[in-house]
Amino acid sequence: MSRRIAPHRIVLWTVVALIYAFMLVPIAITATVSFNAVDRSYFPPRGFSLHWWAMAMSPQWTGPFLFSLKLAALSAIATAILGLPLGLALRRPAFAGRGVLLALIMGPLVLPSLVTGIALLQFLTIAGVGDWLGLPALIIGHVIICLPFMVRTLSVSLESIPRNAEIAAASLGASRLVVLREVTLPLARSGAGAGMIFAFISSFDDINLALFVARPGQQPLTVQIMQFLEYGFSPTLAALSILSLLVPLALVAVFGRLVGIGSFIYQDHGHA
Amino acid sequence: MTLSRARNGGAVYLLAAIPAGFLLVFFVLPILMLLSASVLKSEDMVPVAQLTAENFTTLLSHKLYLDAILRTLGIGVTVGALVIILGYPLAYVLTRTRSRWQPLLVALALSPLLASVIVRTYGWWVLFNRDGAINGFLQTMGLIKAPLLLLPSTAVIIVGLAHALLPYGILTLMAALNGVNPNLERAAMSLGAGRLRTFASVTLPLTSSGVIGGFLLAFGVAIGAYATPAILGGPGTQTMATLIYSFMMTLLDWSLGSAMGVILLASSFAVLALTMLAGRRSAS
Repeated sequence: MSRRIAPHRIVLWTVVALIYAFMLVPIAITATVSFNAVDRSYFPPRGFSLHWWAMAMSPQWTGPFLFSLKLAALSAIATAILGLPLGLALRRPAFAGRGVLLALIMGPLVLPSLVTGIALLQFLTIAGVGDWLGLPALIIGHVIICLPFMVRTLSVSLESIPRNAEIAAASLGASRLVVLREVTLPLARSGAGAGMIFAFISSFDDINLALFVARPGQQPLTVQIMQFLEYGFSPTLAALSILSLLVPLALVAVFGRLVGIGSFIYQDHGHA
Repeated sequence: MTLSRARNGGAVYLLAAIPAGFLLVFFVLPILMLLSASVLKSEDMVPVAQLTAENFTTLLSHKLYLDAILRTLGIGVTVGALVIILGYPLAYVLTRTRSRWQPLLVALALSPLLASVIVRTYGWWVLFNRDGAINGFLQTMGLIKAPLLLLPSTAVIIVGLAHALLPYGILTLMAALNGVNPNLERAAMSLGAGRLRTFASVTLPLTSSGVIGGFLLAFGVAIGAYATPAILGGPGTQTMATLIYSFMMTLLDWSLGSAMGVILLASSFAVLALTMLAGRRSAS
């Protein structure tokens, strides 16, 4: 490989660098704003203070923060449990009702989650289980909106192995259960892991659905921030935003490697 | 063989019936109720058994509401297109590079996904507000005298949403690009096609499903997004989502809220149908 860089590469990488800047600069700005010494979101910040970070770590915010984490974890687990049978069923190429099942699962993907939220709010209220609003309703809603991703990532990982691998295992004498355990599920693992990470993040970040089915005392961080915003922007929110970024980041750094989310996203061209 | 496969299938169907039932009760039923609430009169938030088209005629005849609907659709299409245009080069480089920094670059491209939409929107607000960085910069450079009123603005809402949804587009496009065998591109080039020609007649058609999927995902999320238009917009830049919030939570008019929800839902389906139709035509 020569070290000389072709001109088309320079153009491409410049474009790529600009897109990275577009993606990351606003987040960097939010981070610096949190160090303002005054109660205004100046950029560049004026003065230096950790006051807003202390504010962000007060019980007023740690409560919703922990609630969001709990909600995201429970939603991710529930999504995996409900998604796996769907992924396995959809693998079968043609059966009566396959199209209906697929539409049922993918429906929430086409539907804005806000619509799912107001529908759930109305349904639970009219069905007389209005006291489900809060954590139970949030989990139900988040599972609904995360299932399409889970089933999709599962399908991708299940399709990545040739059917022959399973047939080969079966022809070599493996029982159906052994094939499922030794061949199919290990392949589904990366998809399920990626789907769970998606679900965790979607749940943690969700505001469109949570806005309608949360209740005072059982509010995720996003809803709390949104309500706080009515009183104006405060550097506290900037600090809080960055804090809320750190936990999932750490989680993905550890857990993402464990389930091999990297290999799920980009199957290396080196390997066949 | 056929028999054993059928028996195996039976167990899978049984298992799949549980999540399918869950979706029927907590998704399909509520949506059906929403649909019916949109054509019913309501008293004290609860729909009563009296059919009416009034909810829809109200929404479609008031300029404020109609403007919000059209604005939202415009935002959705623009954001979808931007996400693809910006996401494609990045996804292409990330799937084709042999750099050892590739995993880091991928992580960097997807890292905004970890930040809530509010975090990402906040940065834009800091840049664009009246005392914000852009006004400050332009004034320091002597390009403007008085600060520009950049917010609330539909354009900034579009920028904010495109920014928020870009990682989703990159993910979808990377998945599609990974499905393309790089040898096909090499073959095209060895047969004399230039880079652009190779891209236009090999890579792009092979990744059209990713392009369509990414566009749809971005469009769907963009038209239903609440936080970004609520933060970067104002009374003059209402969208369907911000109006639905007022109807449902402030004005407590669930009928109008449901009707607007149905319009939002119909928009999503209309674009899905159009895109699939276009995809089918280009494929044949």
